[in-house]
Amino acid sequence: MKEVSPSGAIHGLGGAPAPVGAVSSAPLASAPLSSAPLSASPAPTAVPAGPFDKAATPVWLAHNTGAVADAIREAGSARVALRVRAGGGWLDAGRPVTNATHVLDVGALRGIVEYTPGDLTLTARAGTTLAEIDDATRPHGQWLPLDPHGAPADTLGATLATASCGPLGASLGLPRDLALGVEFVDGRGTVVRGGGRVVKNVAGFDLVRLTVGAWGTLGVITEATVRLRARPDHCATLAVEAPGDQHALARLLRALREGPLTPIATELLDATLSAALGATAGDADAVVIRLVGNATSVAAQRRHVMSLARTVELPDTVWDALRRVLPAGAASVRVSHRPERLAVLWHDLATRTRDIPGCLRHATVERGVARCAVPAGHAEALTEVLPALVSSWRVVGEVLAPSAWSVLQPAGSDRLSRGVRAAFDELHLLNPGLMDATT
Amino acid sequence: MSSTLPSSSASARACAIPGTPLAQAMPGLDSCVHCGFCLQACPTYLALHDENDSPRGRLVLMRALVEGDVSLDDPDVHAHIDRCLGCRGCETACPSGVPYGQLLEATRATLAMRRPLPLIARLILGTFARPWALGAALALARLARALGLPRLLAALPGRLGFAFAMLRATERPLGEAPYTPTGDGSRGTVAVLHGCVMQGLFAATNRATERVLGVNDYRLVVATDEGCCGALHAHAGDVDAARRLARRNIAAFEQSGADLVAVNASGCGAMMKEYGHLLHDDPAWSARAAALAARVRDVSELLVAAGPRRGGPLALHVTYDAPCHLVHAQRIATAPLAVLSAIPELRLTPLADADQCCGGAGIYNLVEAETSDAVLTPKLARISETGAALVATGNPGCLMQVGGGLLRAGSTTRVLHPVDLLDASYAARVPNADP
Amino acid sequence: MAMTRDALVQALAAIVGVRQVLQRPSELLVYASDGLPGYRKQPSLAVFPRSRDEVVAVVRLLARERMAFVPRGAGTGLSGGALADGVVLLGLNRLTRVLSIDAENRLAVVEPGVVNVHLTRAVAPLGLHYAPDPSSQAACTIGGNVAENAGGPHCLKYGVTLNHVVALTVILPDGEIVTLGSSDGEVDGYDLLGAFVGSEGCFGVALDATVRLTRNPQAVRTLLADFTSLDAAACATSAIIAAGIVPAALEMMDQPTIRAVEASIYAAGYPVDAAAVLLIEIDGLQAGIDEDVVRLQAICLEGGAREVRVARDEQERTRLWQGRKKAFGAMGRVSSHLVVQDAVIPRTRLPDVLRSIAAIGEREGLTVCNVFHAGDGNLHPNIPYNANDPDESARVHRAMQAIMQTCVDAGGSVTGEHGIGLDKLDYMSLIFSPESLDAMCRLRAVFDPDQRANPGKVVPIHACREWSQTAVLR
Repeated sequence: MKEVSPSGAIHGLGGAPAPVGAVSSAPLASAPLSSAPLSASPAPTAVPAGPFDKAATPVWLAHNTGAVADAIREAGSARVALRVRAGGGWLDAGRPVTNATHVLDVGALRGIVEYTPGDLTLTARAGTTLAEIDDATRPHGQWLPLDPHGAPADTLGATLATASCGPLGASLGLPRDLALGVEFVDGRGTVVRGGGRVVKNVAGFDLVRLTVGAWGTLGVITEATVRLRARPDHCATLAVEAPGDQHALARLLRALREGPLTPIATELLDATLSAALGATAGDADAVVIRLVGNATSVAAQRRHVMSLARTVELPDTVWDALRRVLPAGAASVRVSHRPERLAVLWHDLATRTRDIPGCLRHATVERGVARCAVPAGHAEALTEVLPALVSSWRVVGEVLAPSAWSVLQPAGSDRLSRGVRAAFDELHLLNPGLMDATT
Repeated sequence: MSSTLPSSSASARACAIPGTPLAQAMPGLDSCVHCGFCLQACPTYLALHDENDSPRGRLVLMRALVEGDVSLDDPDVHAHIDRCLGCRGCETACPSGVPYGQLLEATRATLAMRRPLPLIARLILGTFARPWALGAALALARLARALGLPRLLAALPGRLGFAFAMLRATERPLGEAPYTPTGDGSRGTVAVLHGCVMQGLFAATNRATERVLGVNDYRLVVATDEGCCGALHAHAGDVDAARRLARRNIAAFEQSGADLVAVNASGCGAMMKEYGHLLHDDPAWSARAAALAARVRDVSELLVAAGPRRGGPLALHVTYDAPCHLVHAQRIATAPLAVLSAIPELRLTPLADADQCCGGAGIYNLVEAETSDAVLTPKLARISETGAALVATGNPGCLMQVGGGLLRAGSTTRVLHPVDLLDASYAARVPNADP
Repeated sequence: MAMTRDALVQALAAIVGVRQVLQRPSELLVYASDGLPGYRKQPSLAVFPRSRDEVVAVVRLLARERMAFVPRGAGTGLSGGALADGVVLLGLNRLTRVLSIDAENRLAVVEPGVVNVHLTRAVAPLGLHYAPDPSSQAACTIGGNVAENAGGPHCLKYGVTLNHVVALTVILPDGEIVTLGSSDGEVDGYDLLGAFVGSEGCFGVALDATVRLTRNPQAVRTLLADFTSLDAAACATSAIIAAGIVPAALEMMDQPTIRAVEASIYAAGYPVDAAAVLLIEIDGLQAGIDEDVVRLQAICLEGGAREVRVARDEQERTRLWQGRKKAFGAMGRVSSHLVVQDAVIPRTRLPDVLRSIAAIGEREGLTVCNVFHAGDGNLHPNIPYNANDPDESARVHRAMQAIMQTCVDAGGSVTGEHGIGLDKLDYMSLIFSPESLDAMCRLRAVFDPDQRANPGKVVPIHACREWSQTAVLR
């Protein structure tokens, strides 16, 4: 249930787009690991620019699952830890990875393996980008409704590993709801498959849920099967001006949650974002709501929303714009509680972060999750308000200054989480530090 | 019982108790697929939450008896079979159509071969089996009622107090105002079962039954020498007594020449509709029994077939509790409600879980007091939630159980038969024969 | 030194009371099987705590004594998952309280023994319901649903149990109490909640579950389409999905099933001469729903439906659904024994897999009753038969193997909602590699290193490398 800020995370961005057909399986060059043993310095490979760009870091490019397994096994025998990624990009999300002297790059694992539109499922390699999946499914009136904040060049593997999603997650499913099967290589170098390719499956213990959101620390996702949805026939996006008063806002949000509406997204935006997206003219917050259904249904819903408050109609493209509007390199957190408390939370968050220049806030109404991003230069200011936020709300860090992480409880510090980590990556080879503060 | 493949061990087992009523009823057991849908329909399971006290559990025990996994003397088997109310609520939940009521009676008859019934049960059943004894007992009860004893003694602790509360519950909450029925008799001849308890303690309801049928164009004829239907005996496993009583009634109603037999006690109606099964292996009587059974109707069925005619207004707040032997055994759910809705101004509030047993179940409330109370408690709570002043229900056992329970709980809500309400409505304004 | 059985009985009775501990063979008989009575495994004893504290004390006692146990709800499972073979049966059916209802956030906290439909009934006045609706919902418990990750007809649109559980309080087999998930905002970390849901009682015992409630739709339309061929019904299913309509439910029943239902107390008025019927439900806003009904009718008629009937009122709708939900039980009328199967295939393979299943049935001289969640491709081919006939039993066995292989070959799974339990252990290696099975064993060992919770279920024991090499405590 995590989102991650723009353009990827551990699995990062893919490289050059590969041609993808409706039912395609890009042949993968057999590219074994560098012949040099891990303990020796491998042939240096170009590392894409990014915060993790350490020119000296050795990189292994794996072109298939077997190569991933070989690399992890070798890393295990050499006792070197790996930073896993798909091609570069933002690797600064989550707790800092510590002691990873080598990079395992799975960005070359790409291509759609199987897509039968009538099944509403799709299987793709981990490095396949969301944009590629979108291109393949659109002609069939379908989509993978994962819209994490960032670029559509995010890979499927990164999106699942970080459990990233955007406004659509509340109604069309979080990554954990949409992932049907995964293939991954665990910390022992064993290739494991969980789940399957069908939409309903309770065979065996659930390794899919375990891997989704594990940030690559239990295994490197190499392939995944996801559930697709039919694209809605008719869409309308409306922006409703949100009252500044906390109680009035609570009433509006409640009316939107409980009214005769079946939106697939309801997002609360602060005034800066609203203005940037054309949702409001002045300096008011706005609720942007995406209504779907057949023509009659959308028309009735539109009338209902318009009866609640001042409303402007926006083009549907505003949702893509929202994914991109957040600045790269921003420090960001998610703050949440029960949906009914969102107005209080929103007010509190706004009060505390009001003076941080360039701060942007938005919230997914149905989930009660607000997100706050500040430009990279003001990360420390966000750090300063963290203790106050943590004392009142659930806070999940996305990108933070290294010092800020000490404010947040490490996610994987409980007995079961440590046990799971030990069961799948006993040597802490995979992204050490990301889910725990022990390494 | 169904099974998946590995069940070969469960199949083709020799019968351990050949020739017993249960062994003969065995095919009925085979249709149980063990789905468990009966659990939540079973009052004793809901009260005790032990599957041994559920239909599925009891069917397992029955099968175990047949297959010899437990003996006929096993005290656990006796305890759980005894604890069944026989409400047959499971039958209306069962997709496979397991004839649970018949299996239960067969099991009780089989167990009775080994272990006599408890003394109190034998006393009661013995009394009901002898018209003179029953007549004396009921006369005594009426005398006690007339003297107001139940009002004094209903507060006594334990079963004795409850028994007096039940007796007090037979006092009529509405007065009887006889009128002359105006119907034209065009719907054929009907004889009403006066029965035993109904005639002994609810004679006014029997008279009301005849009047309301008359208003609705049935022509009343009288059967002489009819009486106890034998249901109590059959349920307890005393099949011989049940058959004796059944034969007497069959002969009596045959002699009356009536087209139909109207029954206002749903437990009796359910029994009489099963006379064919009860006497199926009696060559002299099986055909006659089946023929009579086919002519038996609950009074609400007859009334609904005729309308029933609307009477005068009764501004009363009423709720309806469905007797198990009407809703589950006879599968009559809506007719009594239709009867009540023929009364102008009557306010009917639905009763939650109306199809759940009240715990009366014949003599169950006297022999399984603790479980009976556990089943009755939620029933009283649901009744209280309705805020109704009257509970209508069409069976003397339920009238006394619910009525007694309400009295003991200090409630002012009273019980009566739906027919009593319709009769009072007609007394207020006798409907015209030509509506 | 392990406790003797008598000492254990006494210790348990001290916690829960004498009447809540069953130990005599005759009173344990009914607990020797669940909804799949082909298996009989007698527990050594059965204990029925009535409160959370009692559950905790019982589990801790069993942990101290290193005793294995099997949690059980209502015993309606269809995979033999709740059978305790000589170990302690832990009945949770007496924990029946709905602890809290939060209408505004649409959450409820329930004890594990709450019957599925009782929760829906409890929140009905608030215009809410609990969406997962397994056919046994009138009897099964939420705790059991969590253990099995139960589905149901309406999970086509609303998702399975996993999608509706927000948080769990769990007692692990060693007695430690942990909270998984959260009901007041997001937590990060591994999705242990997701791992626990569907773990079939092998990971511990849920003491309470916080579940999501769903708003009742403004409007519901239920359609019954009848077809003269199974193939046409299967193709119509694909056509509906392809049209982009997401029905709330899309169920198929074939002729033998229809006839069994129509002979039962739940007769729904299905046409007994139809080769198959589709029961289709759509729900949502009042505005526009009838346009979708018209579209659905057109798709079905184009696909060869003889008639498409729309339920006129709530009563007819209930009747149509009751027939479907009680269909499995109704098959008890057809024959004395029944195998119940559960498999999932990609939806587009429905027509050819159904043809293969029919051919297998024909080859073995058996009647296959299909009643299933067509929209999900979740098949339930059931075969009524007489277990007393060894030849017929052997044919049923062959047919079941062949059907399962067909489904796996089509890219499917060996269970969509019934779970692996005991019944499907042998099928696990058809779809999972030894490495994947071993990974599952490792996950289980995190929750239950001694393998004391529901031993011998879900993953074949030989698949667990580390355990199979060491002595397993039983």
